[in-house]
Amino acid sequence: MDVPVYYSKAEFIETDTGNKVSRRATIAGPQNIILGGKTIISSGAIIRGDLRRTGPGHAVVISLGRYCLVGEGCVMRPPYKTYRGNFNYYPMKIGDYVHVGANTVVEAATIGNHVVIGKNCVITCAQVADNTVIPPNTVIPALALFSGSPGRFIEDLPESTQEMVESQTKQYYSRFQPLER
Amino acid sequence: MPPIRDKFTIHSRAVVCQDVELKGDITIGPGTVVHPKATIFAIAGPIVIGSGCIIEEAAIIVNRRKEVMRVGDNNLFEIGCRVECPSVGNFNTISTRARVHHTVRISNYCVIGAACLVVPTDDETLDDYTSIFGPAAERRIWSGRGRIQEADLRLKHAEYLREMLPKFNRLRRGDGA
Repeated sequence: MDVPVYYSKAEFIETDTGNKVSRRATIAGPQNIILGGKTIISSGAIIRGDLRRTGPGHAVVISLGRYCLVGEGCVMRPPYKTYRGNFNYYPMKIGDYVHVGANTVVEAATIGNHVVIGKNCVITCAQVADNTVIPPNTVIPALALFSGSPGRFIEDLPESTQEMVESQTKQYYSRFQPLER
Repeated sequence: MPPIRDKFTIHSRAVVCQDVELKGDITIGPGTVVHPKATIFAIAGPIVIGSGCIIEEAAIIVNRRKEVMRVGDNNLFEIGCRVECPSVGNFNTISTRARVHHTVRISNYCVIGAACLVVPTDDETLDDYTSIFGPAAERRIWSGRGRIQEADLRLKHAEYLREMLPKFNRLRRGDGA
């Protein structure tokens, strides 16, 4: 196994489904956020569960799948639009095995499974390289690599990507170990 | 340099979250929404923000000059942008991660695109309807089509946030209240 990535035990809260959430992350409206299990939320991340769809009853704002990583200083917030004259925020759904790099802003409606998003990106999947800006309403097809500002299609990814991302994200989770002290 | 004296004047109808960093002499007008984790720094002169503005998380507004920094009405400062302009007009959009230097004055209906850097060495004023886009910060003038729709979306957005943010966040009040 690779070298572990240590974190201080006091900083992270571990839930019984194996989610690790930093105490230094800002989580607004936590009752509207669902974490799939074995998901890591790093310090300095901002997750906006308070921007919910208006209407009666309970509304899920952000749902994250399993083995996800929200990097340091990331901002995750749901997208908004007016529909039939009413302004609303719409729920954001993120699949399994999605890694979001540090300082990235994600305002997407849906992110599929096995997606890797680089650092300092602005996203409003496949793989998105570091420092990419994806304009609103872009659809990124499966097995594609996008890069640049505005983000453009660069190349197709091999069909083995799914297995590779799956094993990489699982490996990252197992490497992410507490340091007693 | 004398120490920065804090003086916050927040209108009773403004929505300013508790988790906001304010420093210096700041006036926030009616109906303006400041999301948590935003930063407003009046280092030298005061900052006056008009009505109906939306300042999103991690946005930074700084006044390094002695004169008053005036921000007009209905502007949108998106996530992580940094604005140091001495004056901002009305209905402007500063997109995510954009950075505008203190040498630029923004008039009305301008759009600064995502991750654009606007850092000219000489003082300049952006004309109405200027839009800046792309990695090289290219410019062009917007025809103004769809301006009414854009303004309508902005007003509804601010109205929604004024209603929704207080339900999940603690609010900050001015010195007077």
